[in-house]
Amino acid sequence: MSNNNGQKLAGKIAVITGGNSGMGLATAKRLVEEGAHVVITGRREKELAEAAAFIGRNVTTVAGDVSNLEDLDRLYAVVKEKHGHIDILFANAGGGKVAPLATATEAHFDTIFDINVKGLFFAVQKALPLFKDGGSIILTSSNANVLGVPAFTAYAASKAAVRSFARGWTMELKDRKIRVNSMSPGPIETLALEKAGLTVEQAEQAASQFASQVPLGRRGKPEEIAAVVVFLASDESSYITGVDLAVDGGMAQV
Amino acid sequence: MSNNNGQKLAGKVAVITGGSTGIGLTTAQRFVDEGAYVFITGRRQVELEKARALIGKNVTIVQADAANLDDLDRVAAAVRAEKDVVDIIVANAGFVEQVPIDTLTPEHFDKTFNLNARGPVFLVQKLLPLMSRGGSIILVSSAMHVMGIPGHTTYAATKAALRSYARTWAAEFQDRGIRVNTLSPGVTDTPILDSQVTTPEERESLVNRYLSMIPIGRLARAEEIANAALFLASDQSSYMTGADLMNDGGVGQV
Repeated sequence: MSNNNGQKLAGKIAVITGGNSGMGLATAKRLVEEGAHVVITGRREKELAEAAAFIGRNVTTVAGDVSNLEDLDRLYAVVKEKHGHIDILFANAGGGKVAPLATATEAHFDTIFDINVKGLFFAVQKALPLFKDGGSIILTSSNANVLGVPAFTAYAASKAAVRSFARGWTMELKDRKIRVNSMSPGPIETLALEKAGLTVEQAEQAASQFASQVPLGRRGKPEEIAAVVVFLASDESSYITGVDLAVDGGMAQV
Repeated sequence: MSNNNGQKLAGKVAVITGGSTGIGLTTAQRFVDEGAYVFITGRRQVELEKARALIGKNVTIVQADAANLDDLDRVAAAVRAEKDVVDIIVANAGFVEQVPIDTLTPEHFDKTFNLNARGPVFLVQKLLPLMSRGGSIILVSSAMHVMGIPGHTTYAATKAALRSYARTWAAEFQDRGIRVNTLSPGVTDTPILDSQVTTPEERESLVNRYLSMIPIGRLARAEEIANAALFLASDQSSYMTGADLMNDGGVGQV
């Protein structure tokens, strides 16, 4: 074990997009427990304030939308001012919406790709000037990147793009010793389904259907995703780069 | 952090084949540091005794050929007699010999498949009755299972077989609460490299050929693979099953 009571990320500076709820929030809390200072961003001020209270210490919040490049500039201006550099980026903001191909609108497609692909692309680009050589970038993809999911095709394709970024950026950032990996959750106990436009009943039905498709027989907990992000963020994964790590209870593996 | 001074495998019993050198030995040392009791197997008694001295405590050595089913019965019997339970299996024993298809012999084929692909099936089968709920099986595959590198017809195919076992068993073990994943190292600086060459010059030439392909620009250290084995063995990966953890410096990703 290292010093600092076994903390794996003592003194590290971490930026988490979509850090105000679900997996992002659980990860922010866990990173702080491991000794990091976190800067979290999300669109809703109220949720951000609640998230900061939940995390308790060593957290800075910046309200913003990752698909808005000016908001990203503001985010990194705050990071620069407060910490001067970044060690860890968890590019996690994203989402899906139900839309069958036959009726999906241009606005649907653009919204999904603006947040999940364009927003993530520029969240990483704009972090680079502040990034410490030897740092770790973790991109939230989804096990949908290898699945056929009806009515979520734009979402699945956007997550396949994210998986691809990890490959290309591994090459582009190798001389700076920055590792880039994607992490692909399966069904996790968050409000993602409700946010995707499902009613509470539909979401419950989908959740129980997921459980039957998952070898581990249940949805994952946000804390289980956080544990994996700690692994990818820390030196425990020092030889791992360019991979896509499925954390999906086996759903897309069988 | 958990109790026991933050040890992640406190009180767990692990079986590691090919545990006297390289990745297997380093993993055994790491597991014992984290509170586990380990059974290590290997063919050579002298190497096993050296490994036992290095590990120092909480270790039993069992001289066994991981390709020989009678030997695997003895491994299971030793575990049953001493602990009557197993929590973690690391199927790690492996063999590589570079041979082009033109000169590949049936003996070479059988030797590689018997140890790398057939042995792990019966290792797991024989230990399964002793395995507890919440157990974790780690099959040491290789990044080569997704690559095409001349001379590796049998080796790469056996490693692909392991990746496939993880999928099937993740589904088969659904009701047993046992997780199974593959760990796929890239080129690791261990004695398995020496086994493929006869002179220091040949070793250097082999290493240089690999280095040109590896984004991270160096070989893996056995400790880095052991870190990932610990991750998969512990509750830190509690929502992962059927997955493949590539630990390859990016060589199979780009």
